[in-house]
Amino acid sequence: MANKQVSLGDRFAEITVVALTVIALIAGWLYKSSIENASLAFNAEGVSAQAPKGWLQVEPAGNEILHTVDIKSTGFGATYVIQKIPTTQEASAAEVSSRLSLNYAQNLLAFRMLDQREVTVYGREAYEISYVFVESNPDLTHDQLPSVVRGTDYVFLNGDHAVVVTFQADEKNYDLDMGRFLVFLRSLSF
Amino acid sequence: MNEAKSIHERKHVWRDEILLIVGLLLFVGVVYAVNNSLQPVFTPATLLLTGVFLAIVPAAIWLVFFYLQDRAEPEPKGFVLGVFALGGILAAAVGIPVVDDLFRVSHWLRSDTITTIVGGILVVGFTQEFLKYAAVRYSIYNSDEFDEPTDGVVYATAAGLGYATVLNIQFVVSNGGVDLGAGIIRIAVVALAQAAFSGITGYFLGRAKFESEQIWWMPLGITLAATFNGVFNWLQGIVTRPTLSLSGATSNAWMGLALAAVVAFVTTGVILVLVRRNLKSLQAGK
Repeated sequence: MANKQVSLGDRFAEITVVALTVIALIAGWLYKSSIENASLAFNAEGVSAQAPKGWLQVEPAGNEILHTVDIKSTGFGATYVIQKIPTTQEASAAEVSSRLSLNYAQNLLAFRMLDQREVTVYGREAYEISYVFVESNPDLTHDQLPSVVRGTDYVFLNGDHAVVVTFQADEKNYDLDMGRFLVFLRSLSF
Repeated sequence: MNEAKSIHERKHVWRDEILLIVGLLLFVGVVYAVNNSLQPVFTPATLLLTGVFLAIVPAAIWLVFFYLQDRAEPEPKGFVLGVFALGGILAAAVGIPVVDDLFRVSHWLRSDTITTIVGGILVVGFTQEFLKYAAVRYSIYNSDEFDEPTDGVVYATAAGLGYATVLNIQFVVSNGGVDLGAGIIRIAVVALAQAAFSGITGYFLGRAKFESEQIWWMPLGITLAATFNGVFNWLQGIVTRPTLSLSGATSNAWMGLALAAVVAFVTTGVILVLVRRNLKSLQAGK
C-alpha cells in the first residue's frame, strides 16, 4: 500500500480541522458567556439590577436588600451583596466606607484593607474599598481548608442613604469572576 | 517507499481493544474485591501513590496486550509509547488548562441538559478530540511506520489512553488520592471512553492517509468523536446520578462503568466493520 505524500488536499483538510476546532471553541465560549451572564431582574427599595441567574438567593440580613451566592464556585462562592444604609445628608462616602471597614474588621477573620479610593463607576461617583479576609465557616462538617477571600465594595451616596455594592470571591477566582461582577454593577440603577 | 506492500489488517488491533475492555472490567472487579475483603488502611501518601498507580493501569493493560500480540509486523515500541506520552503531555499542557481553567466548565456545564450536551461537545469534546488527533497527526502520521489504515486506530488509541491517564492522575492528585470503590470505577470509565472516542478519530485518520478523501472527511471525524464525547458525558451524568431514598443516597457508579463498557464495545465493533468493509473495497479495486 502506498504511503502517500502530504498533498494539497491533506493540507486543506488539516487547516479545516484546526479552523473547525477554533470555531467550536469560540462558539463554546459564547455559549458559556450566555449561560454565565444570564440574569434575573431584581428590584427592591428603589434599587434595581440584573442579578445572576441560577445563584443561591440568601435571605437578606440587616441593611441588605440582595445577597446572592454562586454555589458552583470552587472554594468561597462568589457573592454579590447590595446594602441600603441610612446616612445623614452631610456624610461622605469615605465615612461610610470607614464604618464598613470597621464592621468588617470586627466580624471577619484576618481582615486586611488593601486599598481605598474615589472612583467613577459607569458615570457615577463612588468610593471603592478593596480588602481581604479568611473565610470562617462555622459548619463543623465543612472539611476543607479555609479560603482566602478578596472583596471590593463600592459605596454610592444617594440622598439620605448610601447604596453599597459588595463583591467577594475566593482569591483564586477573584480576577476571573470580576468580569461577571462588572456586568452586574453596570446594570445597577437607583 | 511501501509501494509493494499488500493491503491487510492488523487483526490483533481488535483483540487488543476487546481485551482492554474486558481487562479493565476485571481490573475494577479485582480492586473492588480486594478493597472490600481486605479493607486496607492508607496514609495520605500511600493513598495518593496507590491512586496514581491505579490511574496508570488501564494504559498498561492495553500496552501489554498490544506488544504481546503485535508480532507479525510489529509497530516500533518507541513510536507507540511516544504517541501515548504525547497524548498525555497535550492533556496536561493544553487540554486540562483549557477545559478547567479557561472555560471553567465546572461552573456552568451542568446547568441544564442542553448546556451539558452543547457545552460538552463544543468545549470538552472538541478540545480533547482535537488534541488526540494532533498527537497522531503531527507526530507519526507522516512517518513510513504509519503504513496501514488500522494504524490510525492503534496510534489514536495510544494518544487517547495517554490523555486518559493524565486526566485520571489529575483526578487522583486533586483529590489527594482515590477511593478504591467509586474512584477505581471512574478511572476505568475515563480510560474506556477516551479509548473509544480515539478509535473514531483513528479510523478517520487511517482512511485520510491512505485514500483520497474529501476535504470534509477529517473534520467530520473530529466532529463525530467530539459529539460522542459530549453525549457520553451527559449520559454518564444521568446514569450515575445517586438514587435518593429514606435510607440515604445510593451511588450508581457501576451503571456508569456498564455504559462506558457498552459504548466501547459498540464503537470498537462499528469501527471494525467499517475498516473491514473499507479494506475489502480497497482489495477489490487494487
